[in-house]
Formats: sequence, C-alpha cells, structure tokens
Amino acid sequence: MTRGVALSLLALSVPAAAIASLFVGATPLDAHQVLRALARPEAPDTVTTIVWQLRLPRISVAATVGACLALGGAMLQGMLRNPLVDPYLTGVSAAAAAAVAVATVAGVSVAATPAVGFVAGLAAALVVAALARRGGGIDPQRLILAGVSLSMLFAAIVTLVLIRAQSTGAAGTIVAWLAGSMAGRSWRDLAVTAPYAVLGTALALSTAPALDAMRIGESRARAVGVNVHRAQWLILAASSLLAASSVVLAGLVGFIGLLVPHIARRLTGTEARMLFPACAAIGAVLCMVADAVCRRIVAPAELPIGVLLALIGAPAFLYLYLHPSGRPGLAAER
Amino acid sequence: MIDLDALAVRIGGRNLLSNVTARIQSGELVALIGPNGVGKTTLLRAIAGLHPCEAGVVRVMGRDLRSLRARERATRVAFVTTEETVFETLPLRELVAMARFARAKWWGWTRERSDEDAIDRAIAAVGMQSLADRDVGGLSAGERQRAWIALGLAQETPILLLDEPTTHLDVRVAQDILKLLARLARDGKTILCALHDLNEAAAYADRIALLGDKRLLAIAPPQRLLRGPLVERVYGIALDRIELPDGTLRLFTPPRRHRGCAVEERAH
Repeated sequence: MTRGVALSLLALSVPAAAIASLFVGATPLDAHQVLRALARPEAPDTVTTIVWQLRLPRISVAATVGACLALGGAMLQGMLRNPLVDPYLTGVSAAAAAAVAVATVAGVSVAATPAVGFVAGLAAALVVAALARRGGGIDPQRLILAGVSLSMLFAAIVTLVLIRAQSTGAAGTIVAWLAGSMAGRSWRDLAVTAPYAVLGTALALSTAPALDAMRIGESRARAVGVNVHRAQWLILAASSLLAASSVVLAGLVGFIGLLVPHIARRLTGTEARMLFPACAAIGAVLCMVADAVCRRIVAPAELPIGVLLALIGAPAFLYLYLHPSGRPGLAAER
Repeated sequence: MIDLDALAVRIGGRNLLSNVTARIQSGELVALIGPNGVGKTTLLRAIAGLHPCEAGVVRVMGRDLRSLRARERATRVAFVTTEETVFETLPLRELVAMARFARAKWWGWTRERSDEDAIDRAIAAVGMQSLADRDVGGLSAGERQRAWIALGLAQETPILLLDEPTTHLDVRVAQDILKLLARLARDGKTILCALHDLNEAAAYADRIALLGDKRLLAIAPPQRLLRGPLVERVYGIALDRIELPDGTLRLFTPPRRHRGCAVEERAH
C-alpha cells in the first residue's frame, strides 16, 4: 500500500468512525432517526437533542483530543529522537492534574477547573522549557530530565491532595478527571479550546519540513538552512498547546500520544509531512472508537477512556515493538 | 568568493583559531591541509556559519555571514561533512532532497521540478543513480560518504566546503570526486576542501592553505608551498619529492630508514 493510499484511507476513516459513533449510546437509534436528526438540527424532538447536543459534541471532542495528543507525541518523538516520549513529557498533564486536584479541594467551581488545568499545564511547560534551554536551543536530555522530574513532583502533590480529599468526598471528582473522560462535553467546551488546538496544529504543520530535515542530524540540518533552535522552540510550544488543549477537554487520556505515532510510522514512514496528517487521523479515530466502547461496554455506566486505552495500549505498544515492520522506525541507528 | 578577515574562533573557553585572513576567489579549488586537531574542521564550520566567530569577519559572496539568515546562508554555502551521525534510515534520494530545504517555499511541503532536477544531477555526479532508492543506512561507508557529497552538491551553492571528502573512498572513486570538484571550480564555484593526502592536494588544488598552531600559516600554489620546508616543519616529518613531467609534485615520506630499522630488529 502506497503512502498516498494509506493517507486517503485514513482521511476517510475519520468521518466513518464519527458516523459509527453516532449510533452508540444509552438510547438505541436507527439510521433513519440519525439522518433525520442530522438534517434538522433545530427540531425540538429528543432524538435531535441526543444527536446534536450529546453525541456530536462528544464525538468531536474525542476526535480533537485524539488528534491533538497523537500530533503532539509525533512531534516530540521526532524532535527528541526518542520513541518513548509522549506529549505529557513537558509536564503539562502532571501540572494540570495537580492544579485541578488542588482547585477541586479548594472548592473552585467544576466549570472553572479546566481553565485552571490549562494555565497550570502551560506554566509547567514554560518551566520545563526554561530548564531545558541551552545555547539558544533545547537540550533533549535536559528536556526529558526536567519534564520527568517536574511530573514526579506534581504526581506527589496529586497523591497528597487525594489523601486529604478522601474525607471531603472530592476524591471521586479528582480520580474521575485523572482517568480521562469525554462524558457531558458540550459545543461550548470545544469552542473554548478550539483556538488553542488550531494554533498548536498550525505550528506543528509549519515545523514539519524542518523536522524532516533534522533527520539527517543537527549539523547537516543547519547546513541546509534549518534554523534548528527556532524549530525546537516551535515544536515545544506546539506540543504543549496540543497537550494542554486535550487535557482541558478530557482530563488525562494516556497512550494515544505514545502509541499512535508508532502505528502511523508503519503506514507512512517517518517523514513528518506524511506522518503528521496520519497521526491526527489515527488519533482521532482511535479516540472516537475508544470513547464509543467506553459508553457501551459497561452500560449504563461508563468506563473511563484512560483505563480502556491503557488496557489496550500497553499490549499493543509491546506488540509493535516486538514485531518491527520493514519500514524505517524512529531514530534507527545506522 | 570567501573573504576571511582576522577570523578567530573560540569554543568552550579554548581558542581554536586565531587571526585567519585569506581570500578565496570564485573558480578556485583550495585544499586545506594541516595535522590533526589544527582547526581545519573548525575553520570550515565557521565559514559555513555553524560556529560563531569570536572575532573577525567571514564574507561569503560579499555578504557578512552574520547578516544572513539560515536559509539565505544555505543558498550561498554548502558544507559537506562526512562525520557519522545517528539518523533515521531513509532512501538516498530523500536524503539528498533535504538539500533543497532553503529553496522551498515557506510552507515547503512540495518540491519543484527544478528541485527534482538538482537532486538527480547531484546523485548522478557522485555516480549513485542505481542506488537512489536504497536506504542510506544499508550503504557502505564509502557510498554514504558519496551520499553526503551529493547532499552538498544538490544545494547548488556558489561556495562548497568539504571536510575530508575522500577519507573512506577507494582510489578510483576518490579521483572521480576530486576531478568533479576541479571541474566544478572551473565552472565558477568557490571550493575549500580539507584533505589529508598531500598528493591529492598537489594534484587537484589551485592553491593550498596550510593550517598549523591554530593559525593559517600559508596559502599558496602547490608547487610553491609543498616545495618549501614549512610543510615538513608543521607535520614534523621529512618528505621526499618527485616532480612529474606535467610539473605536479609527488611527496613521499622516506620509508627506507624505518623499514631498515624494522628489518634489522627482526634480523637480530
């Protein structure tokens, strides 16, 4: 299968997964009902409300979260030449989790906690970036060390807050957020986050040619005209924005950012120009499907998407690593 | 054209080069020679804009290097290094295509016909057409070296800097590459090429630049520079010379005394 065919199929799979997800939920709907509801968004009946106000926003949120995380993961893995990196490396998720935990215990309204998480996540990314700075650019080792250290610090804060919160009953809210979920997300949530996700995606796409050239080594990339330092900062900014956007929308959704770039590389190779769109599509599809499964598998209750993705993602990741494809992988040493 | 005016390079608190002044004209192939660790690579990297200059000025095609953005610089100067770096495996043609980065439109997602032609010409120039679709990771050291040279050629810059381009090459391919460089210089390129083989430098260079003690000691035509005692002093060895009928010098390290010693030692 050529890369062009693979990309075309992936592009088609996004609307296909979205349409399929419309049929999954507590209320069974048939094709006729869904089509009629889609055609008349202003109709005052229950089916239209379910389709337009519950399922579609939720599906859109899932697609956005999946695309953001996969794209962020692909960028950071490419820049750091490290296949074990995910977009949470920059401390975004850990800081957001700590901030949301503290805010929940402190009685901040549920509506405001995503914003608290977003700001804390980006602040942590800034601190990590400052610690990783060297000679105008970013030192990959320092970035990983700073990101991991800061994430551990914030994880400790979350644990502390959880212990304290057990008596107040806030622990359940915090744990639910930590496990990731798209339940109850509205168009408004998406509208608030979309500008950051779009900005992150635009930055990501603008760095693709530079990231491709950096595959021949930093020295040679500079010699052919890449401003390596600027590309590094843009990649860090874009991946942080993408991670923060997804955290605001769905809490902590693991494994997508780590796993999807590996799947995409098998289909399209390592060239960022092909890899980025492939990652966005696979991430979106995977997240939409996973969310649909979470709605269905223990209905009427819901499985947290983070739990499902970890259950599927860990063995899938191991399989991909133990069964290398013929295609070039990341940072394959000559 | 390359102009170096009192150039000094200092990295990590160490002076690596000081007070290098020289002018290399368009259409000239200059070989850069000198013992290991004397600053040949540092000088090439400084001219390529990969090392900041502590003092002095580098001008490429009349423009101060510091005033050029990365892309502008890469359309004027190409730097071929054969240092082995970790990189993802990718087909030779895609690797050479990286050379066109600086000429891509701002979105840079597609390649023009002129880019494809430049890539084809560069791959043909190093005789690797049949390997164009092979993964670079699967090539031999010599083939990979030619790939790096093709990367530099595909930039199609007026100035070409090469750091020991013949190191891993067999005699025939090394000759082909040096002939190619001489032809490119005749066509108007400015070429500065670090070489270890003094005979290669003598045979192909218009002038030789001799580095020693972190300075440029001399820059002169091969006949003049290699005939004098300076080369022997810098390298710390004695050299025998033979002049070929076409006037080219051939240099040899005198072997007899050393071999004689070895034979005598064994005989005892």
